[in-house]
Amino acid sequence: MRDRLIEALKKARADYAEVRYAADDATSVTYRGREVENASTEKRTGGIARACVRGGWATATFDTLDALEAMLAEACASAAMVGRERTELAGEAAAAAGEYPAAMERDFRGVALDEKLKLIERYNGVILGHHESIETSVVAYFDRFRRQHFANTRGAYYMEDRPQAGVVMVAVARDGSLVQRAHDGWTSAAGYAVAEGREADAEALARRAVELLRAPQPEGGPRTVVLNQQLGGVFAHEAFGHLSEADFLYENPKMRELMRLGRPMGTGELNIIDDGSLGGLIGTHRYDDEGTPTRQTYLIRDGVLAGHLHSLETAGKMGAAATGNARAHGRTDVPIVRMTNTYIAPGAKGFAELIADVDDGLYACDAFGGETMMEMFTFSAAYAYRIRRGQIGELVRDVVLTGNVFETLGRMDGFGDDLVIREAAGGCGKGGQGPLPVSFGAPHLRIRDVIVGGR
Amino acid sequence: MRHRGAEEQRTDLTDRTDPTDRADLFDLSNIEAVLAGALDKARALGASGAKVAYRQSRRTGCRFENARLKSVASARGASYTVTVLADGRRGVAGGTSLADLDEIVARAAAMAKVGSASHFSAWPAPAATASVPRWSDRTAKLPRETLVDACRRIADALKAYRDDLYVEGGASRSEGEGLLLTTGGVRHMSRGTHWSISAEAQRTEGTDMLFAGFGRGWRDVNELFDPAAIAEHILADLRRGERTAPSPAGRTTAVLSPEMFGMLLHAVEMGVNGRNVAKGDSPLRGRIGQKVLDECLTLTDDPHVAMSPGAAEIDADGVPTRKMTIFDRGVLQGFLYDLDSAALAGAEPTGHDGCMTHNLQVLPGRRGSEEMLADVADGVYLKMLMGFGQGNLINGDFSCNVALGFRVRGGEIVGRVKNTMAAGNVYELLAGGVELSRDRDPALLLPHARVEGLSLAAEK
Repeated sequence: MRDRLIEALKKARADYAEVRYAADDATSVTYRGREVENASTEKRTGGIARACVRGGWATATFDTLDALEAMLAEACASAAMVGRERTELAGEAAAAAGEYPAAMERDFRGVALDEKLKLIERYNGVILGHHESIETSVVAYFDRFRRQHFANTRGAYYMEDRPQAGVVMVAVARDGSLVQRAHDGWTSAAGYAVAEGREADAEALARRAVELLRAPQPEGGPRTVVLNQQLGGVFAHEAFGHLSEADFLYENPKMRELMRLGRPMGTGELNIIDDGSLGGLIGTHRYDDEGTPTRQTYLIRDGVLAGHLHSLETAGKMGAAATGNARAHGRTDVPIVRMTNTYIAPGAKGFAELIADVDDGLYACDAFGGETMMEMFTFSAAYAYRIRRGQIGELVRDVVLTGNVFETLGRMDGFGDDLVIREAAGGCGKGGQGPLPVSFGAPHLRIRDVIVGGR
Repeated sequence: MRHRGAEEQRTDLTDRTDPTDRADLFDLSNIEAVLAGALDKARALGASGAKVAYRQSRRTGCRFENARLKSVASARGASYTVTVLADGRRGVAGGTSLADLDEIVARAAAMAKVGSASHFSAWPAPAATASVPRWSDRTAKLPRETLVDACRRIADALKAYRDDLYVEGGASRSEGEGLLLTTGGVRHMSRGTHWSISAEAQRTEGTDMLFAGFGRGWRDVNELFDPAAIAEHILADLRRGERTAPSPAGRTTAVLSPEMFGMLLHAVEMGVNGRNVAKGDSPLRGRIGQKVLDECLTLTDDPHVAMSPGAAEIDADGVPTRKMTIFDRGVLQGFLYDLDSAALAGAEPTGHDGCMTHNLQVLPGRRGSEEMLADVADGVYLKMLMGFGQGNLINGDFSCNVALGFRVRGGEIVGRVKNTMAAGNVYELLAGGVELSRDRDPALLLPHARVEGLSLAAEK
């Protein structure tokens, strides 16, 4: 394969060209209520030839490598018709090389389908059997084995296996017309083990859905909020991480000014890091999808904006080093700047110390989801508790947080000592490409004056 | 970065190198025989029924960044999915290469052993279908240059309004053919074309950002393929947003654009989804014949609108599609059912893949939208929400951020609202006090909607 790709690229008439090709083998089984809702598998291949000439890009996608040379020729010719400027890509990093087959602890390809189904049947039974107000459930198991090949005109070549397995669970409770949901998910590149032993998680989800039925909603308005590690991680990813993606910046002078390096973003304790090389996490690969080695990038260091996330072109145009953040979701998707594993670094405070100062606030936990439009973010916490005079109080539901990320980061004044990085099963969506596997994390965090939505 | 006008960027982007005009790709007759063999193989493996769906497509497109052409793309691909029914269970397997077909059939049979509970026992025999135009030669032959030119016109119009806008956009056209074969005897070939154009402008002042965007898509190159009209939609929002205005607080009158109204209707679509009804999730279960919505609301699904993106002759199981009234003057008429969900519910299938609408439409009201807006003493005009789908949308609940909305006072738009959250329940909002406009978006066939009692909260 290596020779095939390299030989084809030798004929490429472009300032830069690359080929990426992947074969996927995936399985998923889902329970919904008492029945199996879905049992499906796929075995599919596809790839993309991409070329840059005079700063203009073109791509040609395909299912098999049969017409590889023609696809490359087409991409190069089309790019030549587009390009009117200069190709500016980051300088040569160490060319990617090597073959990296998967090394899973328990390879999910060897696990019988029957066993996968029995596993989720068990979790489903735990949820449905928890309480009479549990109305329905969704429990899904999924896995995908991707073998990806990549080569470019810089002499880079790698083969990397990218396995992923995971479980998602939802518990839905009803009391009359009131419905509450609790959901969570876990994923890993390390094999089948991530799916096993989650009976207690299923129980906890069902219990939470039922308890939320009786929980009041908070009043809307500005509050001091302590985020748990999962919600803090979603915040780091959604609210700030996307702003660091240099493809939002590199052609946009006002955004570049807004996100200029050296800009103060928060207190000296604030550090936000993206790291695509971090030991075996779901967002980790040796090389990104342009052949650049992944690495740790400080986005905010000691409260000051310190770095951006780059592709070859954004780095080239912004005079930065490539950071290994060019990633594509689907086999035939174009790589764009994405996060990998993104987290807020821990501070020194214990949880009790963080809440001690809070007179009337919220302890918000986990996330239903988050959405961001540049500087505005909105998240739904999965559940929350009142904090009154430094003590955790009653459960509350329907807590939605929103704000301007610049202002909110500036009001982050408490950093716990308890960093947790979650490999949650949902992924990241951007530019129609998703869910891309990412992880995110944080310690417990305290933020003053977050706007809490309320009825 | 200096703005480049159209005259500086003459390009010759004819499709000389576009290999998508190869006629052999379009000939599905060989493939039909191969797929029929897959059904035989499934039966040989013990299946009581099977279906196979094959699809091939080609696409060409362009992308503009910072108001100029940045990239072009061409895509081609084919894939297929086999579903096997055995012993009351269904399994699904998908593949790319037809060389793998035997293996994929075997996988589908293996999945069926553990598979999803099937509530129907056989795929139905072919029935008469409407003939719905979905293919346009004009679209299939649309040159890439025309797509690029469309984006360029929009970019130029936006930059002419304000040179420091950041403008992005893109356009594409695609064509594809599909084959559905079932052991019920369905042998259905479909083909369709599609084009789309969209653009977005971002205005940044310090940390304040305004996004305004619009797009269009259709199957035929008709009057909807109008870059000037797309640009004007975006410019209208940019002009409205030149000033800011305070948000109203509390329960507010809101006029929703057709896109916004469509977004709210997603909750209702989830409610009439027959699978959700059969599985007990839908708040509309057991309410057929009841008045659920305001009597001005008549909602239909029409898969037979020629050249509409939702146009379809059959659903994924070969059941013919039909035009269907879902709500008649606010009264719930029925639910949408695919084959399996219908059997689960003891109802007739309605020809809806995944129990979802093909082409939801709402009958218009009496007054023009401008007249409706002029009648709002104090309220908001909503164009875009962020975070709408998080939470209990199937119940109609939402709590989200107003991404683009304007304050209305004395019938005039007085500025853009910021840092505002909107919350409510879709069914409560649409239960009464609703007015619809006479004019409808020509592609969506949705009117503007005025609703009362939307809860807004703003950062002080």
